[in-house]
Amino acid sequence: MTASSTSLSAPVARPSRRSTGTRPRTGTRAVSHSLRAQDRSGYLFVAPFAVATGLFLLWPTIYGLWMSFTDQSLTATASSFIGFDNYVEAFSDPQVWTTLWHTVWFTLLSTVPLILVALVMAVLVHTGLPGQWVWRLSFFAPFLLTSAVVSSLASWLFQPEIGLLDVGLAKLGLGPIGWLTDENVAMFSIALVTVWWTVGFNFLLYLAALQGIPQQQYEAATIDGAGGWRRLFSITLPQMKTITGVIVVLQLLASLKVFDQIYLLTGGGPNGSTRPILEYVYDTGFTNYRLGYASAISYVFFALILVFTLVRLLPTKKEA
Amino acid sequence: MKTKLRTSGGLSGPWPSRAQGRFPRRSGSSGTVDDVGLSRRGLLQAALVGAGGVALGGALSGCATPTASGSGRTSVMIWDLFSGGDGGLMQEMVGAVRAGNPDLDVDSTTLAWGPPYYTKLAMASSGGRPPEAAVMHLSRLAGYAPGGLLEPFDLDALAELGITREDFPAAVWEKAQFDGQLYALPLDTHPYINFYNPEMVRQAGLADADGKLRPLVGADAFLDAGRDLAEVTGETGMSWGYLRDPAGCWRVFWGLYSQTGGGYDLTPGKAAELDTAKAEGVFEFLQEMLDGEVAAPNQDGGAATGRFMSKRTGLVFDGEWDLPMFRDALGDNLGGAPFPTIFDQPANYADSHSFVLPRQATPDPEARQATYRVLADLLRESMTWAQAGHIPAYQPIVQMPEYQALVPQSDYAKAAEIAVFDPDVWFAGGGSDFQTRIGDSMMDTLSSKATPKTAVDRMLSEMNRLLSQPDPAA
Repeated sequence: MTASSTSLSAPVARPSRRSTGTRPRTGTRAVSHSLRAQDRSGYLFVAPFAVATGLFLLWPTIYGLWMSFTDQSLTATASSFIGFDNYVEAFSDPQVWTTLWHTVWFTLLSTVPLILVALVMAVLVHTGLPGQWVWRLSFFAPFLLTSAVVSSLASWLFQPEIGLLDVGLAKLGLGPIGWLTDENVAMFSIALVTVWWTVGFNFLLYLAALQGIPQQQYEAATIDGAGGWRRLFSITLPQMKTITGVIVVLQLLASLKVFDQIYLLTGGGPNGSTRPILEYVYDTGFTNYRLGYASAISYVFFALILVFTLVRLLPTKKEA
Repeated sequence: MKTKLRTSGGLSGPWPSRAQGRFPRRSGSSGTVDDVGLSRRGLLQAALVGAGGVALGGALSGCATPTASGSGRTSVMIWDLFSGGDGGLMQEMVGAVRAGNPDLDVDSTTLAWGPPYYTKLAMASSGGRPPEAAVMHLSRLAGYAPGGLLEPFDLDALAELGITREDFPAAVWEKAQFDGQLYALPLDTHPYINFYNPEMVRQAGLADADGKLRPLVGADAFLDAGRDLAEVTGETGMSWGYLRDPAGCWRVFWGLYSQTGGGYDLTPGKAAELDTAKAEGVFEFLQEMLDGEVAAPNQDGGAATGRFMSKRTGLVFDGEWDLPMFRDALGDNLGGAPFPTIFDQPANYADSHSFVLPRQATPDPEARQATYRVLADLLRESMTWAQAGHIPAYQPIVQMPEYQALVPQSDYAKAAEIAVFDPDVWFAGGGSDFQTRIGDSMMDTLSSKATPKTAVDRMLSEMNRLLSQPDPAA
């Protein structure tokens, strides 16, 4: 409150400042001097993060790139430079492309509902369901669980024959569904769990954006005779465009990185139908010990994500 | 933030502190290693810890092992993967050995079973600072011994402690050899067997004079027995939880395939060879078994063992390591027998937990000698181990009247004599990607969504994929 009152009084004070015209020169010197000091202390503040980033992100990234050109293994004592052999193998390895497709398929299956459901939930909560905090809490709470907990819960729900879902279906006289054991169903089940688990984060972003819409717009529209649906489609949703762009990018990147819940729920099965590319990288590098080749696959995947992100991000920059 | 940096400084070797200073200058370099003046191993380790930390969370912690404790006693650290019910018994054995060797500091670390365990063991060994001893599936030896990750046992040193080859079953001792040397000291044989409910078996008319399941020889005899049991239970006769358990699928398939006498050739660089007709025969039998009457076609491990323990099925295919669980549920009303002989000759899929000596970068003779003592003492504690269901490899224990009095352990102990292990190839073995992939490729056929031929084709293509890859230890 005090801040806004000083800013309101500022125009009144301005003339008096302008009248003391000789001051700025000494002032600039003092400012630039203190800026330099701030500069240095700024580096100090970012140093810990820079070191951590260098150690745990940049260096492994560079070293991984180097490994992708060698036949490095986890168990052998020596490795040698083999040029692009790993990349040639990766491009002709059908497993790379099938698992990449599984990752993309999961991304499609999860991203669309994660955005639509989050938006619907946020709009419902915002337009005044009674007991707001209960909804906010229950929609967001699953997001706080770790992947291991979520996977355990889902694994019990999906258990064949004695799981809650199959038992429930049987009571309704419906046949058992191979939630995690049927090739055609497993990925949907995993997407379903993921949506339940992570939708809360997008919901929160949407809710914050909704609360940022000025109330006056709704008031004005109401005075002009706009009904609830009209206000939703002409005021609320159009203003969700920017945040949706952000959520789409964040969500795509998150979904492309899928590993935990699939590894824990199906281990990539049945018949490899849910194995994402990151699990193939993990299997190749850490279970079959071929670090060099695993690095090469990682870099192929990394390049694809990078290209995709650039293509997606460049237009949004222009819009802004 | 500060604490984070401190933990990073705790990585092995001099690398973090140097790299902190060097990093800005070298950020644009090609990442070559030698000119930085660090050991390639050290860098590899650090890079792996960095990269692995992102992918695996805390899974890679605990790599470094102290070689000597503060008290001045020689320290012997043993890694094991007994995260199931047998873990408590191993702790008990280690406790007994610790009490018997007050001059040693004996400790064990239990890590999660499966592929991550072997990743950690391989990384610790190639980093040169592994534990003094570790538990390994004998079936994994082919992937470890040739790469120089393990050191052979000194037979003379073992003999001094009273441990000789006569103390072990020939098949298991043979499997522990590589290149004419002993690379693993077998602790047990753990076969995949069948447990049964003696009361139901008696009601179904399948018991012998002693009240034990009479041997069921041939597919028809077994399936008939399953139907007889089904009449007693009113549901299915037996259970096998194959869904979501690729390793279990592989175990049953490989045991049965060995019963057919079908040969195989898995040589890296060559196409896989199996007797496809016999392999298809195995799947035909299993499909017939999972018909909804003999066994339910849609059970996973939890459902299958749950049904057996709640007396809704009379027989279950399972690893003997689940014995403590069954005992809790059924008490003395529990029988066990080697895997039934469905085809031409008896054979029983099994693996063996064994102790190995990971290669140390700086071997300490004193610690090595202490390790031999500890391992020999652990073998002599095998009676405790037998309670977990495992068949002790150390024969003096098996021949003791106390062991012979253990039921059902002594009833299925014969399985060790007809044990069949995984093929001797670098990618096979317990907790391997091979078992996961091969087992996974037969799932559709087992649930009758695909033909036996599909399973064999898929299996062969997975085998060929692995055979075409270079051996990382070579």
